Amino acid sequence: MKRSKNKTVRAMMVAGCVSLLSATGVAKAADSTSPIVIPIHNWSSQIVMAYVLGGMFEKMGNNVEYVPADSQAVYESIRNGDVTISHEVWQSTFGKSFYNAMAKGGVIDAGTHSATTLEEMGVPTWVIEKDLCPGLPNWEALKDCHANFTTPDSDGKGRWLEGPQSWHGDLMPERLEALGLADKWTVKFAGGADALWTELASAKKEGRGTVVFNWTPNFTDADGFTFIEFPPYYEGCRKSDGGDGKCGSPKGWLKKAANYKFPKTHPAAYTAFSKASFSTQQIGQMAALVDTDKMDHKDAAAKWLADNEDLWMPWTK
Amino acid sequence: MSTSAANSSDALIRCDSVYKIFGDQAKSMLESSGGVVDAQKFQEAGCIVGVNNANFEVHQGELLIIMGLSGSGKSTLLRCISRLTDATAGNIYIEGEDILQMNNKQLIELRRNKMGMVFQSFALLPHKTVLENIAFPLQVKGVGTKESITRAKEMVDLVSLSGRENYFPRQLSGGQQQRVGIARSLAIEPDIWFLDEPFSALDPLIRKEMQDEFLRLQGVLSKTILFVTHDFDEALRLADRIAIMKDGVIEQLDTPANIVLNPATEYVRNFTEEVPREKVLKIDSVMDPYDPSEEISDLKVPQDAIIETVAEAVLTAGKPVGVVNQAGEIVGALHASKIISILFGGHANTPDQQNS
Amino acid sequence: MIEALKQKKYLQFILLLIIFVVLCMVIAPSDSNYLWRLPPLIKDLPLAINDSVDFAMFEWMPIEVYDPEIEEFEQKPLLKEVTRVSSGFILFMIELIREILLGGVKTIVAFMGWDWATDNQWARWPALPWTIVAGGAAILGYALNGFRLALFVGLAFTYIAVFGQWEPSMQTLSFVLIAAPVSVFLGLVLGVWAFRSRLVESILNPLLNMAQIVPHFSYLIPVMVFFGIGDHAGAIATIIFATPPMVRLTLLGLKKVPPEVGEAGLMGGCNNWQLLTKVLIPTARRDILIGVNQVIMQCLAMVVIASLIGAKGLGNDLLIALNRLRIGLALEIGVCIVLIAIVLDRLSLAWANKQTDYFADLSFKQRHKYSLMFGAVFVGGVILAGIGSLIFKEGFNYLYLIPHNKGITTENFWQAGVDWIWDTFFYSLKSFNEWLIVEVLLPVKNAYLSMPVAATFVLTMGIGYIVGGIRSALIIGGLLLFIALTEWWDRALITSYLVTVSVMISMTLGIVVGTLCAQHPKSSRFILTYCDTFQTFPSFIYLIPVMMLFGVTDTSVLIAIVVYATIPALRYTVEGLHAVPESLHEAGSMSGVNRLQRWLSIELPVSFPHMALGVNQTVVFALSMVIIGAMIGTDDLGQLILGALSEKNGVGNGLVLGLCVAFIGLAIDQVIRTWANQRKEALGLE
Repeated sequence: MKRSKNKTVRAMMVAGCVSLLSATGVAKAADSTSPIVIPIHNWSSQIVMAYVLGGMFEKMGNNVEYVPADSQAVYESIRNGDVTISHEVWQSTFGKSFYNAMAKGGVIDAGTHSATTLEEMGVPTWVIEKDLCPGLPNWEALKDCHANFTTPDSDGKGRWLEGPQSWHGDLMPERLEALGLADKWTVKFAGGADALWTELASAKKEGRGTVVFNWTPNFTDADGFTFIEFPPYYEGCRKSDGGDGKCGSPKGWLKKAANYKFPKTHPAAYTAFSKASFSTQQIGQMAALVDTDKMDHKDAAAKWLADNEDLWMPWTK
Repeated sequence: MSTSAANSSDALIRCDSVYKIFGDQAKSMLESSGGVVDAQKFQEAGCIVGVNNANFEVHQGELLIIMGLSGSGKSTLLRCISRLTDATAGNIYIEGEDILQMNNKQLIELRRNKMGMVFQSFALLPHKTVLENIAFPLQVKGVGTKESITRAKEMVDLVSLSGRENYFPRQLSGGQQQRVGIARSLAIEPDIWFLDEPFSALDPLIRKEMQDEFLRLQGVLSKTILFVTHDFDEALRLADRIAIMKDGVIEQLDTPANIVLNPATEYVRNFTEEVPREKVLKIDSVMDPYDPSEEISDLKVPQDAIIETVAEAVLTAGKPVGVVNQAGEIVGALHASKIISILFGGHANTPDQQNS
Repeated sequence: MIEALKQKKYLQFILLLIIFVVLCMVIAPSDSNYLWRLPPLIKDLPLAINDSVDFAMFEWMPIEVYDPEIEEFEQKPLLKEVTRVSSGFILFMIELIREILLGGVKTIVAFMGWDWATDNQWARWPALPWTIVAGGAAILGYALNGFRLALFVGLAFTYIAVFGQWEPSMQTLSFVLIAAPVSVFLGLVLGVWAFRSRLVESILNPLLNMAQIVPHFSYLIPVMVFFGIGDHAGAIATIIFATPPMVRLTLLGLKKVPPEVGEAGLMGGCNNWQLLTKVLIPTARRDILIGVNQVIMQCLAMVVIASLIGAKGLGNDLLIALNRLRIGLALEIGVCIVLIAIVLDRLSLAWANKQTDYFADLSFKQRHKYSLMFGAVFVGGVILAGIGSLIFKEGFNYLYLIPHNKGITTENFWQAGVDWIWDTFFYSLKSFNEWLIVEVLLPVKNAYLSMPVAATFVLTMGIGYIVGGIRSALIIGGLLLFIALTEWWDRALITSYLVTVSVMISMTLGIVVGTLCAQHPKSSRFILTYCDTFQTFPSFIYLIPVMMLFGVTDTSVLIAIVVYATIPALRYTVEGLHAVPESLHEAGSMSGVNRLQRWLSIELPVSFPHMALGVNQTVVFALSMVIIGAMIGTDDLGQLILGALSEKNGVGNGLVLGLCVAFIGLAIDQVIRTWANQRKEALGLE
């Protein structure tokens, strides 16, 4: 226990030193030739961004390696040094894993993207167009339309399809309770993102109403997805933080994480990585190249790099 | 195939007080019993007596048959001598060397050069062809592929399987499989040949054919043989001497004729009772000494012929018939009266024995 | 009365049932009532496991290691260094094969270091053109088993290439080519060891049972902690998963070798090693080869799961495709996985059955026929690739490497197929789905959840006692007690409910379809091939269409489980029926039975013990699918195991949850196996 604390302290110190050094412009030592290991998860924007960053590192003369990894488990691997960076740390989905690993030592926070994220319950836009729940996206509309959102196993209530329970625990059931919707709505935990997208697709085919957990930026943005507007989030409003639970999700950050040695072994690459920042729109572009234009992930990354040189070139300097 | 004289100097295999008892406390129980083993008592203690105080010798070139019903310990005794199982107590000498004292390496050497064994269920390697099965003991020994295959080919010819070299065991009949088993056991030209009920799994017709084949081979090869069977007729037909076992004990060990004529125990008598004498006894066991003054028929019979095969000729000859040995010399005379008493007489008038 | 009870088992069961129902009625559902739910006394076990793993991995026996990268000494714990070195070795082997197939720099780096490789950019091993690999594989097939195998292998590789799956397929292949032989080797060694030593056998047996039932997910996390992520970790997880059946079948095969064959080997003068390698193992080859077949199937079945901890290749691509609901693409990838499995299986089988011809007098040309053929293919492949580079100037050369997803695709066709199924069946399926959920699944689930813990114990231990005596009862009690003392009893009940329903459906399907197919050799063969295929075909693929049709509901979970769990039910039914001795059939015919009578009164009873082992395997398969079901969305143990990947106590939680799942399986196994053995003995089958 003690040792891991020491490690955290040291990791912080290292990070601090590095940022100091880079700030004063002294850090010009050459990067190590050992490869920077970038994880590949299973959604488009992340994969394209992995190849974009990899391409950037290669341009700077670094060796790069890609390794498929589970998006939750990857933080433990970064901590151990098996993976060097993670470039899409979503606040509410991966925040917990990220901070867990950081607390154990070995992972550092490498800055935040300019994109803000939102992870919230919502409906496909056509649900609103079909007027299956008049008054949406205001949450109060939910009080009267649950009948359009029932499933065989929901016991006559409307169903919210939430992500796996491991993502946010009992947040959604608690919110239903707090907002007084519990007798009209029930929460079903999906097994994974696949289940969410399948639900969207099959509900659309059937023309059935559905309330699904989703996030933005995401490929679903292109198909039209509207997030429900719950009472605004404020610090401590959630049941688990001692509040009354009558609030929606906050606008979240999208961070970057790195192994604590990365700044030392690859100072130039680390500097570029910490400067790298993508906006919601840019992330959406990357995803769209694959999802809409049906490009290969690598090709999409190459195209994106070629099209946006003036954006990322300065980071490498 | 003559009965060789009992002479300990040419004993190739000698068993001294060999015991084999199965069970966890076999050894300690045996020690405390002082060599007198009561199977009943041992069984109550959870031990099963396989071989109980076996003492005998097998001579160079002799064919000793161990006969007994299932569970009599005959196969166990054979396995003790081949050391496939370790005897619980006693000494087993092969060419004067105690094999129970041999280490694994010596034992392997012994098996590679001196022993061959044929199994009841053939025990061929299913993944190897006829040729490969026969060459197997040679290859294990380290003989090169080419040489071992050439030798195996000779063995194939010896057991009349030419043309089936590349068959797999599953493609052969039982008799053919056992020919492969025989060829395999002979490939290294062993001095001692063990056969564990080699023909028991075969049809009666095939069995007869294989016995003939076996006699032919033995005529050519003259190995020292330990042959296990539960078939008394087979034993009588093939053996130089027979050891009859019951519950691990050798009840009697003698020539076929003596066993038939003088069963040592009630148990042995049960076997011999139904045996037609003429089918077992050889001429030399009923012939009279040759009296040159006596007028004998022109007909001559070999001394090791089975009575039944010559009975009709002797009875119709009208005169006593001369008995000749292998060299063609007259060694005795056979009177029709003896044949008649064998064929039609009761058990009481057994001929006297002069050949032991 | 008591006498009758002692005699008649069904009376005992009725009595047990009565007690059970009474208990269910009298025990009040309240959290403070220990008869209703036991207190979670071993709640902290996962934490303790976690702490010990952390300690062993990150604190135990630190050694000073100089890290040239950051130019300072570091305290590195011994165990971590050891595991990292061993995984480095495995990774090297995988990379070696991979780079022979696909080219690369890692092998060179392993010897020269990254600095050298970076300075010498020319030092890159080039990829083999796909034509050479496909041709080489076809020649191998020809050498081992003639033209038909060659054709099949060649076509399979060509399929993989033209559908643009070359690179991921070769990545997967290189990973399987290490994992499978290692599993076979380990399985053989352990199997032989267990054969030689009763003690080892008795230790291995429960471990093997566990390794087969514990969901693969729960050891993904420890593997990741111990060995890191990457192909080597995937390979290690795969080896853990694929070795148990090999051990089991090796042991089974060796035990079945007739003692006389061993004696024949000894009398032939074999030493121990020769006896083992030349006599026992070859004689046991039928079972051992089934083991090899199982290893290959298991390896390919793990491809997708292994990609979660870093295995590159088809598995990873499949997950990505599914995440975008590209079912057609996923299906093509799935076909590649199955093709690789079949190719490897056929080649290994042909290799094991290869016969030498000692008499052929061969010329140089004949003796080196295959090398010469390969030489020709190699030169031809290079020339073709050269020509290709002249024809295809647009970035990629179809005759060299068909880049990922640049091949032909039938995606639209499959997509249309899925759409057609949806359009045709959805509405009728929907009402069926509603009926199933409302009338069957929910009531069963609620019934399970409303069982007081005391009643559950009485029922299960009672069954154990009636079937197998006090020993079985105690074993079952012990296993369930462990689960009851964790905080996951309710979740375990939901898992049991899913397993119970799906096993019932699977067994019904398996016995009916299996019996029908067993009537004819052709259909038997077909159904066994089907079993092989679906055992390797990644279940993830049909998850999506099933969810489309049945929604994120228990029905979908159930279907996913049933599709997989029916495999052993089918296999064991067909095999069991085939094992009925011919003489019994004849005896039946002579007594004038008709087909149905024969099935009911002869075939079924005689083959039932074997089929019971099928039930056993069905339960195992169902339990192992629980975790895949969790990917749809359940509230059982599987869901928590899935979640354990991201938890602070992931290792401990994952393992304890895995144990809970395994213990359910072992408890059922105890009852069925004991019963089947008794039946077998009664029927004189063993």
